[in-house]
Amino acid sequence: MSLVVDAKGRDLRSVSAELKEQVAKGPVKVRGAAHLHGLVAGFKSGDVTITGNAGDYLGALNDGAVIRVQRNAGRYLADNMTRGTVIVEGDAGYGVGAYCYGGAAVVKGNAGDFAAVMNKGASIIVKGDVGDEVATYMLAGDLVIVGNAGKNLGNYLIRGNIYIAGQWETLGHNTLLAEMTESDRAKLRGYFDEYGIEADPAAFKKIVRLSEKPFYK
Amino acid sequence: MPPVNGTFCVTVMKDRCINAGMPGKCATCVEVCPHDVYAIDASGNVYVQNYNACVGCRICSEFCPEDAIRINPAESEIMTRSPWTFPQIEEIHYKAQTGQYQLRGFGTMGGYVPSFDNITIVPSQISSPAPRDKYREECNMEVVIGEGTCEHPIRLHYPFVFAAMSFGALSKEARMALAIGAAQTGIITDTGEGGLVQDETWLVKGFENKERTLKRWEPGGYLVVQWSTGRWGVSADYLRAGDAVEIKIGQGAKPGMGGHLLGAKVTAEVAAVRGIPIGSDALSPCRYYDVTDPADMKRMVAFIRDVTDYQVPILFKLGPSRPYADIKACVEAGADMISIDGLVGGTGASPAVVTQGVGIPTVALIPPAVQALKDMGVHRKVKLFVLGGMRNGLDAYKAMAMGADGIGFGAAAEIAMGCRACMSCSSGKCAYGICAQDPVLRARLNPVEAGQRLANFIKATAEELKILTMLSGHDDVGDLSEEDLRAMEPNIAAITGLKLVGYERPMPWWENGRGNGSNGNQ
Repeated sequence: MSLVVDAKGRDLRSVSAELKEQVAKGPVKVRGAAHLHGLVAGFKSGDVTITGNAGDYLGALNDGAVIRVQRNAGRYLADNMTRGTVIVEGDAGYGVGAYCYGGAAVVKGNAGDFAAVMNKGASIIVKGDVGDEVATYMLAGDLVIVGNAGKNLGNYLIRGNIYIAGQWETLGHNTLLAEMTESDRAKLRGYFDEYGIEADPAAFKKIVRLSEKPFYK
Repeated sequence: MPPVNGTFCVTVMKDRCINAGMPGKCATCVEVCPHDVYAIDASGNVYVQNYNACVGCRICSEFCPEDAIRINPAESEIMTRSPWTFPQIEEIHYKAQTGQYQLRGFGTMGGYVPSFDNITIVPSQISSPAPRDKYREECNMEVVIGEGTCEHPIRLHYPFVFAAMSFGALSKEARMALAIGAAQTGIITDTGEGGLVQDETWLVKGFENKERTLKRWEPGGYLVVQWSTGRWGVSADYLRAGDAVEIKIGQGAKPGMGGHLLGAKVTAEVAAVRGIPIGSDALSPCRYYDVTDPADMKRMVAFIRDVTDYQVPILFKLGPSRPYADIKACVEAGADMISIDGLVGGTGASPAVVTQGVGIPTVALIPPAVQALKDMGVHRKVKLFVLGGMRNGLDAYKAMAMGADGIGFGAAAEIAMGCRACMSCSSGKCAYGICAQDPVLRARLNPVEAGQRLANFIKATAEELKILTMLSGHDDVGDLSEEDLRAMEPNIAAITGLKLVGYERPMPWWENGRGNGSNGNQ
């Protein structure tokens, strides 16, 4: 039985204060939170479910909490996350997993432009399609796209891996199509099993960096 | 490649040089020069192998046991071959040979830039409040940041901060020295965007050990942690480690561009803090990837306040662009303090064309910035700090009389630590270990000694500010006003709105409310 926090008509500070108290006691459901931006930010632990839509910056700086969204999330989901998991059953907006250092962000619908931008170590998994410029200047971690990608996929990739089952419009600078290994397929299988995503690892292509230092010589 | 090659004459006085008399006996200059100006031949004779490589840091002269070396600027060629001076010829050669533009640090070089130098202070006499006695009366210099908006406002002992300079750009020892200097003077040291050196967190509070049991320095300072477009080393714990969080929008060295740490300085330690490959350039984006509409910045401030549990102030740092509108945007986003960095500022690496020719001079930023705060009814509540080429108590007084609440020192802090402004900061070859990551060079900087030098500099500068404040009839730096200043030439009067000496009025367009930036696109 989850505890419930009703966020309707309340501001971030008051909802967050109540949420911080409640997560220490057990799983918490938050309803009416679509208007709040930056909810569940910087939590070190806890199990939080947003029962409807979520606002922008949900789970920003997440440092260990498990956060679920039963419908759609706004922009900048899991911004600068270091640990923990954020799972969205629907779509997410621009900038999913921007600046993350760790943890996992999973979107079971589509995600917008600039997903995984400057990702530095998180696993970011999108079951649907993603927009343009995803994984721009990614420095570490994985981006898994079960659907298709837009323009400039992996632009100025430095490190980390992009796995994609669908098509892309264009590849960005400093990208290289690489061989999928058994280890890659095992990793993808692990992601799909853990997050309940139906996809065949054998269908994926892998994109890595061309050069580690693509900028100023 | 340093940009000023060939502008220094290296003279070794053979009558004093130990090596000249006894080859092989001494080669100190060869050992200490990081730019390979000197070499030693098979017979042990030291010689100058590359005059053009000298950047003027004078480390050889300082270490020479017989004071046998003189480094002097080469004769000016402005009158003879302008505009084709030696540095400009060298720059073109460099680009022609490499196909690359020049990068350098340490701010704008040469040329006319409007500054505080053409402003004078009006002392008190019989017609104005009497001067205060510097030796026998008190002068309040405290500045409080974040009062009413957070649980733990910052109470600066002096109206000064050390400007944001990152670990990576600076050595770990320099970062530690800044913390020690801040601890002894009750002011701010700012991480910049390079993440946190753990030692800073206890040093800045005056402790000399991690366990915080040995208190050595009073009154203790404040650590500001920066949130930037590269977000290097940023986490919830990082934000909570600071006494304030600073949101960096821009900087004087490269307004409109992100931070740029050259690969030569990305050692294993720097790479680990930033989460990037060793030797890879750390190029911060020019804008936030997680801000795409004006409301986003306000939302960002809101969740940073929430993550830090509403305990600490939120600061903003701006580059020199459109101060009136930019300051208003920061206030609307929820800033407790705004630092604005001028054209001359710039300790960071930057394309030379940007650091040399992009942005508004520091002195010209203040009137529109102050006007914006006044128009929003928050002047003196949201604090305004001015950075960019600030050197001494005179600059501090003038900036504060124009309406700033305090000033910041970047280059001056580096110079206080021992820097000679040789402008090779970005190369990683800082001879004094301030901007170096090479362990041999870093070992030259003792953090405790450098911290003491910083504290001495701040205290002496504060005394200068106190003298000037009291001779103009005030006992609180917050009471300084434009009436305490006069512009000494029409250009500076036109830019600042200050009364012109002799004319005793502002320039006409300031008298009717124009020119303060609020009516144009500033």
